[in-house]
Amino acid sequence: MSTAEIAIHAPSMRRRRLGPIATLARRRFQLTVRTPRELFVPLLTPIMFALVIAPALKTALHTNASYESFVAIGTVGLLIPLNTMFSGLGVIVDRVSGAQRELLTAPIPRGLLVLGNLAVALAITALQVGVLIAVAVARGIDFDATGAGVLWFVGSAVFFTVGMYGMAEILANRVSRQEEYIARVPAIAILPWFLAGALFPVTALPSFLTWVAKFLPLTHGLAVMRYGLSHDSAGLQAIWGMHDAGAMAALSLGVVAAFAVLLTAASVRIFSRSAVR
Amino acid sequence: MEPAIEAIRLRKTYAGGIEAVKGIDFEVDSGEVFGLLGPNGAGKSTTVGMLTTTIVPTGGAARLVGFDVATEPLAARALSSVVFQDAVVDQSLTGRQNLELHARLWRVEAREAQARIDDLAHTLGLSELIRRPVAGYSGGERRRLEIARALVSHPRVLFLDEPTVGLDPRIRAELLDVIGGLRSRTEMTVLLTTHYLDEAERLCDRVAIIHAGRIVALGAPAALRAALGRELVELRVDGDTTSALASLRGRGVAGEDAFAVGTRLTVPLHDGGSREAIAAIHELGLSGSISAREPTLDDVYLRLTGDSLAAAA
Repeated sequence: MSTAEIAIHAPSMRRRRLGPIATLARRRFQLTVRTPRELFVPLLTPIMFALVIAPALKTALHTNASYESFVAIGTVGLLIPLNTMFSGLGVIVDRVSGAQRELLTAPIPRGLLVLGNLAVALAITALQVGVLIAVAVARGIDFDATGAGVLWFVGSAVFFTVGMYGMAEILANRVSRQEEYIARVPAIAILPWFLAGALFPVTALPSFLTWVAKFLPLTHGLAVMRYGLSHDSAGLQAIWGMHDAGAMAALSLGVVAAFAVLLTAASVRIFSRSAVR
Repeated sequence: MEPAIEAIRLRKTYAGGIEAVKGIDFEVDSGEVFGLLGPNGAGKSTTVGMLTTTIVPTGGAARLVGFDVATEPLAARALSSVVFQDAVVDQSLTGRQNLELHARLWRVEAREAQARIDDLAHTLGLSELIRRPVAGYSGGERRRLEIARALVSHPRVLFLDEPTVGLDPRIRAELLDVIGGLRSRTEMTVLLTTHYLDEAERLCDRVAIIHAGRIVALGAPAALRAALGRELVELRVDGDTTSALASLRGRGVAGEDAFAVGTRLTVPLHDGGSREAIAAIHELGLSGSISAREPTLDDVYLRLTGDSLAAAA
């Protein structure tokens, strides 16, 4: 094969790999927009927290304005799990009454079905987080973000979303019915949020729970998000006990990235195995 | 020319030790309509699942147009399409969106896909429906959409898994016309599973009769029926069927292929006519109702398995 031929074929190979993901993501998006509750329901509770509960807590507890931004970022840690868990419901619908078996007979690697769903979950979560932050800013909540800080925030949010979607896919492929899935959502999406320093620093927890919290990916994710958007490294300090905030943020981002990679790999493997008999 | 479908000692044992398919062998030629005929639970859908790579074989091998379904699944899937037994569509999407999705995943060029979709919608009577969400389709409309979807990619091998099950008789008749019309599409091989004898007779070049995970007969429907003679006599015996059968054989009315199931004796007639056979039965003094008719595939199944396919289905 000549060099010229290689140069011609390379882009086409890339398109061949990305094309099915785009097709599957487009399908998932078409299905999602026909059920608007998937877009809006996960947004309701976090916006309530950011706009109503955080200001009320600030008033009741006589804290300062930074507490509102603390809670606003903390609510991102609720929005992401709720949204990804809602997205995971679509996997069960696909399997029970949708086109999953047709997709399994398509000439594409089956892991792409997971990645197509993930792409849409990521896009919708990004939209929702964007709305949450915009509403918080409109409400007068102040963030002290630089360009680099925004990158820390986005990196952490993206990795955490990817990991949580992997969790949702795994659960959806482990349970047979939507009712069983929904019954497990509070334990996966909400319980860790109370422990991960969303509403108060993890150091305020009983000491053994502080240790538990240090192992939660959400704790690391929120600490990096706060470091990025508010220059607040207290969460990172509580986890790592170091002095270099940048190094601690990199370590925590690494934890969240590892969470994303492991859960995505596991979800692809579990889907590929459970989808066939 | 290599077969379109090959199954070689293909076997599937599910968790719990349930042997659904017990080492079956068959080949389907390119352009052939081949039927897997058997009652529910015989192993038909498991066989289709293995050929379409949604069920992992426990043993043996299977190839689609030369591609091994276990080691070259993407190539095998690229050449085939499936119409499933139950609804496998995105209900909230329109018919066109479902067809477009299939076209994109099977890498049909966009403009070509639109032309094929319009053509298939016209051919299958879906033109008026195709812009509506599938959730509003009737059972027959949805099944026609699923057939159209399977054809968008111009598959070399089309699997139809119990395509008419659960449909009312009028829609079933319409659909059989549609499936019969697929024969005009050259080069396409069709594997049809069914427990309806008339479907197999009407549509298939050859059938494999499958019972409890094994193929018990394989051939053209006419040839399988012909093995039971031009005619057969069926009589219900009041007394002992074994001695009645022995008497018939002793008199030369029944051959080795005559068989008894319950109180019913079935006697294939290879040489003489039914009139002579019935007269001989009367002479033997065997009481009960007697009738003569042409053999059916159900008789073939009954002889080989001791069960009536129509009743088992």
